[in-house]
Amino acid sequence: MTLRSFLRHEAVLGLMLVIVLFLLAQQSDKFFTTANILNQGRLMTEVGLIALPMTFVIITGGIDLSVGSILGLCAILLGVFWHNLGLPLPVAMVLAIVVGGIAGLVNGLIITRFKVPPLIATLATLALYRGLAEGISQARSVRGYPDWFFVLGQGEVLGVPTQLWILVIFAIIAAAILGLTTFGRATYAVGANETAARFSGINVDRTKLLIYTGAGLISGLAAVIFVSRVSTTRSDMGTGVELDVITAVVLGGTSIFGGRGTIIGTAVGLILVQALKNGLALSGVKGDGTIVVIGLVLILAILATNLFSRNGDG
Amino acid sequence: MKKTLLLAAGLVLASSASYAATWTGGDELPTNPLACDATPGTVSAKPYDGGVPTNPPDRKDKKITVVDIPKLIGIGYFNATSKGIADAAKELGNMDAKTDGPTKANIDEQITFIDNYVTSGVDGILFAANDPVAIAPVLKKALAAGINVVGYDANSTPDARQWFVNQAEFNGIGKAMIDSLAKEIGEDGSFAIVTSTFTTPNQARWIAEMGAYAEKCHPNLKWLETVEAQEDNVLSFNQATTLINKYGDQLKGIVGMTSVATPASAEAVTQAGQCGKVAVVGLATPNAMKPYVEKDCVKSVVLWNPVDLGYAAAYVLRAAADGTLKPGDTSVKAGKLGELQVVNGSEILLGAPFVFDKANIGQFDF
Repeated sequence: MTLRSFLRHEAVLGLMLVIVLFLLAQQSDKFFTTANILNQGRLMTEVGLIALPMTFVIITGGIDLSVGSILGLCAILLGVFWHNLGLPLPVAMVLAIVVGGIAGLVNGLIITRFKVPPLIATLATLALYRGLAEGISQARSVRGYPDWFFVLGQGEVLGVPTQLWILVIFAIIAAAILGLTTFGRATYAVGANETAARFSGINVDRTKLLIYTGAGLISGLAAVIFVSRVSTTRSDMGTGVELDVITAVVLGGTSIFGGRGTIIGTAVGLILVQALKNGLALSGVKGDGTIVVIGLVLILAILATNLFSRNGDG
Repeated sequence: MKKTLLLAAGLVLASSASYAATWTGGDELPTNPLACDATPGTVSAKPYDGGVPTNPPDRKDKKITVVDIPKLIGIGYFNATSKGIADAAKELGNMDAKTDGPTKANIDEQITFIDNYVTSGVDGILFAANDPVAIAPVLKKALAAGINVVGYDANSTPDARQWFVNQAEFNGIGKAMIDSLAKEIGEDGSFAIVTSTFTTPNQARWIAEMGAYAEKCHPNLKWLETVEAQEDNVLSFNQATTLINKYGDQLKGIVGMTSVATPASAEAVTQAGQCGKVAVVGLATPNAMKPYVEKDCVKSVVLWNPVDLGYAAAYVLRAAADGTLKPGDTSVKAGKLGELQVVNGSEILLGAPFVFDKANIGQFDF
């Protein structure tokens, strides 16, 4: 639980990333091109955005399995608000994100007020929010969004995909909150020892509520970007996203037991997974093979960290 | 909505018990029933509405790499289409084909797969879309990169691909179902339909086409009722059992509109001891129906042959890459399947649906 051990994990992970990038670049000459790298940035934005609040959630020792379902629910509601209720699209976008926040707040309330373990609470809302999305959509999709809306998910600003800017800005904000503010220190304290945190006057419940609400809000934002990228809404959007998100966060060195983790680690974990998926596909490995490799890398990274931290912390 | 429909159905039944103007569960779009004999439907001329790849390299008679990205991999149906594609590639000799795709029918993953293959620089992409609109941007990107793009099984918006191999037109399914039914229960038999819901688009279209075709070619068939069963196994079984109990000897046939309803209806008939008395006809995959067909409880199962579907898609892609299939053409040669018709501007019709029976069902595994 020192700064040194964070750096150790990140150093291991960073080294792994460099090796992986080098090997993949050897395999395919299409991999290390600007066009491909920017395109991968576009594809990983939704997972990347949600991974930021998920880092906070996991640092507190919690987990949020419902983010994929919140994404689906917000996507559907964006379509419903705009198409069925006839609201202006910008208003519908804001409302959809607000609904995401409410969904996250509900998670937080269940966890803090009723002392339900986060795993169980969000497993329940995973089913609940997905069911709502499917019920509201009636298996119909909303299409025909105006052109300006696609700037968000398909357009570019200064030659870089629009959503990649959003991801970078949010990542910097998240890193600043976690590393430099009292809220960030409270987050670590809650995860390291909740009882001790309570006795030292940290408002544990408020911290958790804010974090889960944040996860909902960001999932809503990811939903809007996702809809813009694929130009339609469907109730099954974001199915399984929670697992990609948790993979990136855990690979990035955030301890599933809480108290440990960084945004930089999450970013490296995210890039590593995306580089593997893309690079292996480009070098001709099929989808099923890619999943196996990602699983192995995850185990390897955790093993390496455990080894190092044992040596380091004695 | 549902209540209104039921009420309407009740009124129709009460006012004209023998003549059903529209069958419950059908939609209100215009129908286009086929001729009663085997004459193929008339093709209305429609200009080409597919997309065009930007500056494709000359691929004529050159070896091309093709990737097939179905809705998902690892299920019998798409294993069969993938086999058809591999067969065609082997026969052609100048095509390297492989199948890759998500393990869940997930539109996001499918888009990522296609995106990666566009970057890796394949010559051709075959796809079965999880969503017609969501897949369009990435397919357009493929066209813009000069890649030949052909769909099968599930279409995208037309301008996002060059051609789409359509497994069966709605009126073709309607004809095959009603012809099989009339053959089994006689020209004046009574029957009921088990569908998913009254608003499911494909099923509603098929029921409407079946109604129109029955009226035209088998006018004495008596339609009793359509019931909803949500593509749920247990509910389908219960609904079919209710129909058997409700109509007794009057019921001669049950038509299953989904691959869930058909085997469940067959099971209900078997358990009620009505095999041979109540016929079951419907859309289903051969594997689900084998036990009932082998016991002679079900005589005909209607579906297209997915191996042929994949085979045709591979041939169409080759023809598009060679430039032998151009916008405006009315037919395309597809190996052992012969000449296939172009319909609806940029769709290629696989042909009449396939009817599985006791003689041929053993040869299929999906």
